[in-house]
Amino acid sequence: MAEQPGEKKQERKALAVFLCTCRDEIGRKLDLESIAAELRNDPRVVAVGVHEALCSREGQEYLKKEAKEKGFERVAIGACSPNVQGLIVTRALEEQGLNKYLVEQVNIREQCAWVHSDKKKATAKAKSLVKGAIARAEKLLPLEDIEIPIKNSALIIGGGVTGMQAALDIAAAGHKAYLVERTDELGGRAYKLSMTFPTHNCGICCMQYCKECVFTPKIEDVLQTKNIEILLNSEVEEITGGFGSRHVKVKTPKGAKEFDVGTIIVATGSKTFDPKRIAELRYELDDVITTQELEQLLVAQREKGGGLKRPSDGKVPKTVDFVQCVGSRDKVKGNLHCSLVCCTYAIGQAREIKRMNPDANVYVHYIDLRGPYRGFEEFYQAAKEEGINFVRGRVSEVVPDKGRMFVRALDTDADVLLNIESDLVVLAVGQEPADGSDAIAKMLHIQTDIDRFMKDINPMFPSEFRRGIYVAGTAQGPKGVRYSIEDAKAAAASAIDLMNKGKIKFPRIVAFVDEARCRGCGRCEKACEYDAITIVKDESKGVLTCKIDEIRCEGCGQCAVACCNKAITVNGFRPEQVEAMIRALAEEVMAHD
Amino acid sequence: MTKPFEPTIIAFTCTWCGYPSASLAGVNKIEYPPNIRIVRVMCSGSVEPGVIMDAFEHGADGVIVIGCLMDNCHYVSGNKKAQERIDAMKKLFDIIGLDSRRLRTEWISASERAKFAKTVGDFVDEVRALGPIRMDRARKEKKARTKEQTVAAVKGLIDDTGAFDCVECGKCTTVCPIAKFDPNFAPRTIVLRAMEGIVDNIAHDRDIWTCTTCEQCNAMCPYKVDYTGFIRGMREEAAEFGATALCSQGGLIHSVQRMMAKGDFRQNRLGWVKEDMKVADKGEVFYFVGCLPHYDAIFYDREGLRLQDICESAVRIMNKAGVVPVLSNDEKCCGHDLNWTGDESNFEKLMEHNIELIKKSGAKKVVFTCAECYRTFKMDYQDLMGNLEFEPVHISDYMKQLIDTGQLKLDDAKKQSFAFTYHDSCRLGRHSGIYSSPRDLAKAFSGATFVEMENNKDKAVCCAVSAWANCNANAKKIQVDRVIEAKRTGADRMLMFCPKCQVHLRCAVQDKIPVDPAMVDVKLEDFTVAMARLLSLLPEEAQSSK
Repeated sequence: MAEQPGEKKQERKALAVFLCTCRDEIGRKLDLESIAAELRNDPRVVAVGVHEALCSREGQEYLKKEAKEKGFERVAIGACSPNVQGLIVTRALEEQGLNKYLVEQVNIREQCAWVHSDKKKATAKAKSLVKGAIARAEKLLPLEDIEIPIKNSALIIGGGVTGMQAALDIAAAGHKAYLVERTDELGGRAYKLSMTFPTHNCGICCMQYCKECVFTPKIEDVLQTKNIEILLNSEVEEITGGFGSRHVKVKTPKGAKEFDVGTIIVATGSKTFDPKRIAELRYELDDVITTQELEQLLVAQREKGGGLKRPSDGKVPKTVDFVQCVGSRDKVKGNLHCSLVCCTYAIGQAREIKRMNPDANVYVHYIDLRGPYRGFEEFYQAAKEEGINFVRGRVSEVVPDKGRMFVRALDTDADVLLNIESDLVVLAVGQEPADGSDAIAKMLHIQTDIDRFMKDINPMFPSEFRRGIYVAGTAQGPKGVRYSIEDAKAAAASAIDLMNKGKIKFPRIVAFVDEARCRGCGRCEKACEYDAITIVKDESKGVLTCKIDEIRCEGCGQCAVACCNKAITVNGFRPEQVEAMIRALAEEVMAHD
Repeated sequence: MTKPFEPTIIAFTCTWCGYPSASLAGVNKIEYPPNIRIVRVMCSGSVEPGVIMDAFEHGADGVIVIGCLMDNCHYVSGNKKAQERIDAMKKLFDIIGLDSRRLRTEWISASERAKFAKTVGDFVDEVRALGPIRMDRARKEKKARTKEQTVAAVKGLIDDTGAFDCVECGKCTTVCPIAKFDPNFAPRTIVLRAMEGIVDNIAHDRDIWTCTTCEQCNAMCPYKVDYTGFIRGMREEAAEFGATALCSQGGLIHSVQRMMAKGDFRQNRLGWVKEDMKVADKGEVFYFVGCLPHYDAIFYDREGLRLQDICESAVRIMNKAGVVPVLSNDEKCCGHDLNWTGDESNFEKLMEHNIELIKKSGAKKVVFTCAECYRTFKMDYQDLMGNLEFEPVHISDYMKQLIDTGQLKLDDAKKQSFAFTYHDSCRLGRHSGIYSSPRDLAKAFSGATFVEMENNKDKAVCCAVSAWANCNANAKKIQVDRVIEAKRTGADRMLMFCPKCQVHLRCAVQDKIPVDPAMVDVKLEDFTVAMARLLSLLPEEAQSSK
């Protein structure tokens, strides 16, 4: 491909190649010296170096020294993944004044040394990859990072435990927090719990000192913090803009409210599984209830006293059956995922019932008991000692029979079919994404998982990759109260860090338009998921042309493919750059056939 | 014994799932064949068809695009779009005879390392079983051209095209459609620069690629300078230095044409032929279809564009006149686009193949529905090969002949009530001098009103893009203006014989335009298709589209 018109003719300056033996991880599987020897004869290359660890401090000093002495401008590196250690290596070269956009790194460790046992073939492949990197590095263009200003206010979607904690932290750091909650009260589902487990302490009041209770005083705290603007009965309608400055439209009972924020914390939470979807569990019966409803009975009991009463006739139940994994670990009628918290809270509730009525027969029907919390095992052992019956096997059916109720289940350990006459059946319902979370994910371009929970970007990546949007709490997937709060704190910390800085540099791997070639057809605008492209009319020339908002652009390249004229290309991934690499890869292979 | 075939596989992996899954396979030391070469891209949806074709042209035996799981794309819809695009590309592969199993999409999440290794391993096995691509892909070292050689070649070109006679009157510039919008462009100055021996910049001279080669300048020149031929020659010279046109579709179309020239594929060009059409393997009349079926696969997402209708119409009209045309599955691209973008060697390969093919069929007459194919056979093939032993005939002339001889009867032509105009394509009009037959045929549309555009016959403005090589903002202006001109005549339809004019003009007015859409609200239709509809040989289009 020829150069784009209007593009400065690049003077091709020197190029260097560095290969990393990765302390013999690569070195013993590939013959790097033979590659280096061949490249030393390559007229395009002024320096070839083999080092044992380019990402080490010595490695970086070595790179800097080489750059200083040999004066090269472009670098091709054969080492490990450019996504992680590559960033360290590039930084070293940048410190020496090189433009980081002229560095191309290929992964000869994960893609050659570690996956191909034939040394000769692996070496040949590594050589072709390095030659590909050289070909691409030659075509790269020097660029500067984009500087993005960050507004010092935050939107928090969801006023549950996660949202409240994030709002508190952000407000405490001196930034304005808008807390949007669609119901008429703060606290979310956690507010309705009678207590939290496995600590067996109270959940809602602050009448007594609870060491583990991280939740209780929060609502008052939030209400009294000046920097938090609470919008109840409100829903986020529209979010536009890009990283650092997003315009938010919220529908409130008093009408629409609009404001700009620099960061967003998504704490939309989860909802519980609707047990009606599993007909054989007979949720329509008065005495088949969910664990959520049991919580309310427990709260009522605490207020009125007199032990737990069942809904149908107010009698104290003698036999109680807990059905685990309702809607969880069930690909057919529910969700594949494990909801993580149900084992813990069901055991907690079972123990509560047993505490109130030691004569009660309490069964827990489970398939595996999973409690990834500190103290869970002790909690479970205590429950067994207290006489709670743990039965392995899923409940197949609840059968009503003339006012009586039978639970049919197999005890798979004993291989006995059970037909227990039960007074109260409690369904341990799992968690699903909250209603409307799809819309929020779409609005913010958050990737969702197969189970529709939102995905947060791998924390291994630099924090700015999240573009000021953080998913916290059960919006990410099932989680306990405590872990949700920790999540909120981590998200808030990242958001605060960003807002404190006030601006951030971001890689310019974004779409670029060559206006002379742009026909203004608008296919790019249609292809863009981020509203980063607008077609504008150039009145002086009487033509339409496309404008790219570099801050909104995520660099995915949908527009570039849609552009039939290739007026749009993505920096660092221009067709001529990619093609140069591929041709070099293929040519090297053919040369050896 | 020869070494067993080991395929080269290019794996495009997205940054978020494909690439990390490969890295994880590495961390877990899951072995897979070393034939895989991974190229990281941002999103599976950013993999250009042109880049994929380029990979095949330059050595890849298989290409696999690996992205996030469906409905789980990091960029919302990239993988879905990739799937759609690659499915369409597989259809193109089927037509050109490149096994579509060589191109694959796979959706693998970042954690599915074993799936990555297994998938690529299976793909290597599959492509290995398919064997090597039957195409000459060896890179030929070209001897560097010296300045003296270039100066001599350009001088020869000046003599051949009569450019030496240029008296600098500037008539060419005043009629040049590009110069109308681009004040820096003038056919005259390109010639002048060359005459002064300024050839240093030939590799970077964009002007020689900007020309539409529409021959408006030739037609106006008082000294009969062949500017268009001069430009073509200059492109050939520039190509010696590695310069290429900035091609539409990222060079995909040219790649396909070069592969046809260099390769020996079992093509599948005749998928559009329906059972009730009468066609033959040998006979008097050969119908040279050209690349129309290819374009339908390439422009799969363009609303209302069905170039195969042209082929179907041509055969049905011939059948109605009692002619059973020869169709060949082994026909190759005529080479027009390569010829006009400086690739003479591949052009000649295509030419030799096509001429041989037609000779073998025993045909004495070759009919073309494509204006470019016609010009290429009639002028370029004959220039290079002398007498062709068969007569190239354009469908407009041919239909006229069939009507005149009474073979094609118009008794059952439908009564029409629309007004229409005719767009003279540059390849048919100025290049080949066919002006009267289309206008005679227009009379067949009884009841309809035929109106001429202001710029007609040798003054007709061209569709602004030739050989897919010079599309830009100015091209769009020319195209939009041309359709406005057609609308201004009061016509409901704008007929044309060149499929590429149709592609380019539709492209210009289909999406966003800088004028009121009512100004370009005219139906663009191929003339042959309109004839077939007139004779009820093809159903009317269900919905009216521009």
